[in-house]
Amino acid sequence: MAANRPTLLGLALVAPALAMVGALFLYPLGFSLAAAFTGREGGLSLEHFAKAFELYSGDVLFTLFIVLAATLGTAVIAIAFAGMLTLGETPWVLAILGALYRWPLFIPFIVAAQCMRTFLAKNGLMNNSLVALGVMEPLQATSFLDWRGIIITFVWKQAPFVTLLLAGAMAALDRSTIEAARNLGASRLRSLFDVILPQVVPNLMVALTLSFVTMLSVLSVPLMVAGSQPTMLTVDMAFRINSYGDYATANALGVISYAMTAVAAVFYLRHSVRKEAEA
Amino acid sequence: MLDRMKSALAAAAAVLALAGPAGAQTTLNVATAGDQNMVDYIKDYLGPMFEKSHPGVKVVAVGTGPGDGGSQKIYEKLSAQRQANAPAWDFDVVVAHQKMAGQMVKEGLLAKYRDKIPTGNLVSRDTAENSLGAEVGGYVMPMFHSQTALAYNADMVKTPPATYTDLVDWVKKNPKQFGYNGIKGGMSGVAFVTGWVYAFGGDADKLMKGPYDETLKAAWDKSLADLKEFNKNVVITPGNAGTLDMLNRGEIAMGPVWVDMFYTWQAEGKLPPNMKLKLVAPGMPGQPMYYAVPAKAAQAKLAEEFIALATSPEVQAEGIVKRFNWYPGIDAKYLQAKLDQAAWQKLFADITPDDLSTKGKPFPIAPYFNDILESYEKKVAN
Repeated sequence: MAANRPTLLGLALVAPALAMVGALFLYPLGFSLAAAFTGREGGLSLEHFAKAFELYSGDVLFTLFIVLAATLGTAVIAIAFAGMLTLGETPWVLAILGALYRWPLFIPFIVAAQCMRTFLAKNGLMNNSLVALGVMEPLQATSFLDWRGIIITFVWKQAPFVTLLLAGAMAALDRSTIEAARNLGASRLRSLFDVILPQVVPNLMVALTLSFVTMLSVLSVPLMVAGSQPTMLTVDMAFRINSYGDYATANALGVISYAMTAVAAVFYLRHSVRKEAEA
Repeated sequence: MLDRMKSALAAAAAVLALAGPAGAQTTLNVATAGDQNMVDYIKDYLGPMFEKSHPGVKVVAVGTGPGDGGSQKIYEKLSAQRQANAPAWDFDVVVAHQKMAGQMVKEGLLAKYRDKIPTGNLVSRDTAENSLGAEVGGYVMPMFHSQTALAYNADMVKTPPATYTDLVDWVKKNPKQFGYNGIKGGMSGVAFVTGWVYAFGGDADKLMKGPYDETLKAAWDKSLADLKEFNKNVVITPGNAGTLDMLNRGEIAMGPVWVDMFYTWQAEGKLPPNMKLKLVAPGMPGQPMYYAVPAKAAQAKLAEEFIALATSPEVQAEGIVKRFNWYPGIDAKYLQAKLDQAAWQKLFADITPDDLSTKGKPFPIAPYFNDILESYEKKVAN
């Protein structure tokens, strides 16, 4: 009990770190929250939110749609990859997959966006390759440089991250349950969904929450991959500041983003609290 | 051990003492808004030239970022230094866009220097006096003028539209063949939208010259509703470069671009030679960037000499026209003797000097400018 009581020395040790968090994170956060709710006359006001919704309500929905769809896509791919890595039986396929899937993790969003610009364009690498392979007629080619392009880029970037966490969790499972299922005749798909996945759902949720928050904050991808109507909130925030020097509305948009991440954070906390309670 | 440390300290002190005179070298800080090419221009071209004629001076180029946002940062920095009562401000020369230049003059952040430099009287365009409605005469020198125009693929478009009205018809007949970048993806889209309001919103003259009358924006409703309709048949591209990319790949046949970017891409082989430019009536906007000296620049005298060099006919011809395909900041007549015939012709190949004087428009005065952008967000984009 006594060991848990904070000592002066302990406080002194964490003080510099706390000060850094306070000065570089809490203060700006509080400042932007306050600015979003402060009216032109200085009193408490919702006028910036009214403006944000008047101009960007479509973009709020668009952002939510993009991030949710990309999270879902990421989940599907990550489950498929992690499942393959855990249950796969062809060693060379596993070796190649294991070596390749991590690559996007090391590519920054802005580089990924730039590559996708030439890859997904109407006459870009993807369509040209499909035409050259005879899969598609040139006239059927369409550009993916719109909402689909943003989702594809996000999924491409985030799937390896979620796979990494998920495959790690799956590898830590007790193999005997999986083997028992396989011995009793369960197909690999069945053992993945009925035996393995239920045990790693908390890990999956945490990984997805983290990538949800990451995708919500990316500016380069929506800016570079798709046109600006509609667009994501990060682009709108940059535009408010760059074109009008209007930090107030940008802050209001920021608060709307916080609200979205808050929903994700609740998920995250619930899961980690439950995990701790179980432990 | 202690001895060794002592001698190391002594050596360090000696090095510091030697470095002293070098540290006393004068530094001229040039802050530029705009793309990386602007920073490179100062760093690789103007800077070394100035250092050669001014021994002991070191030119440092600082880029604050593209678009109005870059100018906004310069303004915020100067404004903060004034508020802090700094005796001398960090920037000696600033390169800024129109909107912020007007505001900086209004707030007394800039020095009135143009009459003191020899190139001050070579300027003839009205942008040197008036920046989006703000009086800036004496406080700024245009570095260059940039112009937007429609770029089109001459193989796909035999007779390009001559007016905005023609363009509307053309787009109806050729859906998804025209592309622009909206207003958040770069200034060529903003220029296109501004040109649209000039063409269909009534009283374009008042938008450019003022005075500001808030009720005027109600008259734009119809034209903006038409623009929303027009947008259904066009492609919204990702940015200025995005429009050029799509033209290059043949995905669209026409789109608004910056003239200088167009020629630069063409010179680099990134655009096929069959691309041409057309300045449609009643006109599309262009803009200068300005050289200015902050009111409390530490090296005001050097700053003036730097700008005098940068706006001399030689540098304007060689650096601005030949390197960047920009229209010069000073009157073009002073350059004709400095440029070979080919360079001179190229500058006015698709857009004649006459086009430029009748259809090269300024952007509207700042409050209307903001109104146009915001009305677009409200009525067209959302």
